[in-house]
Amino acid sequence: MKEKITIGPFHPELEESVYFKLVADENRTVTHVEIINGFIHRGMESLVTQKNFMQNLILTERVCSLCSNNHPFAYALAVEKISGVKVPPRAEALRVIADEVKRVASDLFNLAMLTHLAHHHELMKDTMDAREHMQDLKEIIWGNRMDMSANQLTGVKYDLNEEKIKLILETIALVEPKVNALQDRYENDESIRAKTIGVGVLPYEDALELGVTGPVARGSGINNDVRVVAPYSLYGELKPKVTLRDGCDVHSRAMARFGDIVEAIRMIKEVVANLPEGDTYVEKRPHIPAGEAVVRVEAPRGELIYYLKTDGSQKPVRMKWKVPTFTNWEALKVMILGDKVDNVTMILNSIDPCISCTER
Amino acid sequence: MSEVIPKLFRINTGSCNGCDVEFVATAFVDKFQLETLGVELVNDVKDANLLVITGPLTARSESFLKNTLTKLKKPFVVVGIGTCSVSCGIFRDSYAINGPIDKFVEVDVNVAGCPPRPQSIAEGIAKGIKVLEQKMNGEATPKAIDTIFKDFSAPDSFRGRMSLNEENCTACRTCEIVCPSNAIEISSTGDGWFVHKIWHNSCCFCGNCAYFCPTGAIFSTNSFDTAKLQSEKFSDVNVGYIDYKKCSSCGDRYMPPSKGLLSKAYTHDDVTKLNEKICPKCRKEANFKRMYA
Repeated sequence: MKEKITIGPFHPELEESVYFKLVADENRTVTHVEIINGFIHRGMESLVTQKNFMQNLILTERVCSLCSNNHPFAYALAVEKISGVKVPPRAEALRVIADEVKRVASDLFNLAMLTHLAHHHELMKDTMDAREHMQDLKEIIWGNRMDMSANQLTGVKYDLNEEKIKLILETIALVEPKVNALQDRYENDESIRAKTIGVGVLPYEDALELGVTGPVARGSGINNDVRVVAPYSLYGELKPKVTLRDGCDVHSRAMARFGDIVEAIRMIKEVVANLPEGDTYVEKRPHIPAGEAVVRVEAPRGELIYYLKTDGSQKPVRMKWKVPTFTNWEALKVMILGDKVDNVTMILNSIDPCISCTER
Repeated sequence: MSEVIPKLFRINTGSCNGCDVEFVATAFVDKFQLETLGVELVNDVKDANLLVITGPLTARSESFLKNTLTKLKKPFVVVGIGTCSVSCGIFRDSYAINGPIDKFVEVDVNVAGCPPRPQSIAEGIAKGIKVLEQKMNGEATPKAIDTIFKDFSAPDSFRGRMSLNEENCTACRTCEIVCPSNAIEISSTGDGWFVHKIWHNSCCFCGNCAYFCPTGAIFSTNSFDTAKLQSEKFSDVNVGYIDYKKCSSCGDRYMPPSKGLLSKAYTHDDVTKLNEKICPKCRKEANFKRMYA
């Protein structure tokens, strides 16, 4: 007996709109999967060519609010590559702090959604509470809980004084024990293990072939973290330690994210302790000549590539993204096929889909 | 009067997911007090009477939204969350956007913000419930509803509604140029005044204008009072007037430099005073005389 099931596009368990057409057999095992998307397409590539470089600093942030620091970061790196600007060391450090704070918050949100979909309400509340500390920190230092507006074209917009550094360290001191406790609970909680181990399996070979990135790759034992394989900014010196898991399932990906969070916390502490003195930007409105640049950075979801072409005018001629979810998306079909219908939204969540990045 | 149970269903019509994430935070973190409103999150839109819509309505989502709306039973209330649901915000000029949502559905409450704070979202939903109660009882919607959550506060550094200090503004248009969502408009009235408008419902609260403003005239306040009724949608504007002055020396009309700029250029108070009321031409002359005559 075949059963046709549709999920979406507007569904309470889906953060963003996407439409699944599934066929399942009598055991509610998925035998066919079709994913229909395009709901979040906002014509970004056209929009960026209509706006000037200053406006695009903010527009790139709105590509996706969960990786909203990586986008302007990569964009600024591309512009700096074209205009040959060397960013002051203090600005580099401040960029890394903003990026890692954002990574902690983003990964914690994904983990909270995982527990929500696994119907473990108590654990979800605790994860959200841990994340709230980071949200409050972002609101006090950068002025918004999601879109920090930290980067500008030749540096950063914000600066840290003694008081703010103290606040960061205090917040980290609050979050760190909570994260460690949560990590332990995710690792050992019976109901979470039962619901996530062996679910949404992406074998090592498939992961390699599909070219997945970020925690999805790390959950399948592949290390292609851009911060390690092609270090940018301060990551060459910081040497992030990458957590690899070989379970290839939803649980492994969640634990790989915990590894990221722990490492991000370590790096924030390290950078804040050795914050270089000096300027936070070179010049407020730099001249941008004609040129082309490709930049890649590691977003919370994986590798983010920016291509930028300019012609010496005030607006970019072309801007193109390759976002992490673009490659991870294909892996969904491998993960969902042969799994239970009830697990589909949880498997989707396990790649930490950023559909707004992908469809733009 | 019958007891109203608000049954909430969220629709994402193409948002950058910021508002959706913040909605989840609002719904599941206790300090935002959403549960005090007795809101029930439903799994099927058929059961809902409180619709929360985020996003600027992409072309792809339009037909699905229309289809979903036909399933709703009246009376229901629509709360638009985020600047893009109110005015399409930063995405307005794109070919792929068919919004804002009030073209297709009667919106009751708008919550501007990019994304709005959970406190603003909770406030918007609370106001939506007020409207729902009135609709259920067949009453007319009032012009304005008082703030419901009175004990929420924001840190001083929060980027909230923008404001303008007319004294410092020279109508140089930097803010207009750097604003990504075209929320600022400076126009000349033709009789010696400039009008500076900030449309709060288009603003994406990024702080670019304040950051690039050379005189510090435009600045963000920490006000997050953005949950407004639909009837207030087009009147939620900050208007500033910047006037030309008459030169006290030659009588020509001119745009005075801001006090902030003058005090940077001339550090002595008395020189600033000398320069305050004269046009650039006379200022050159006066300062030349002061130094060399």
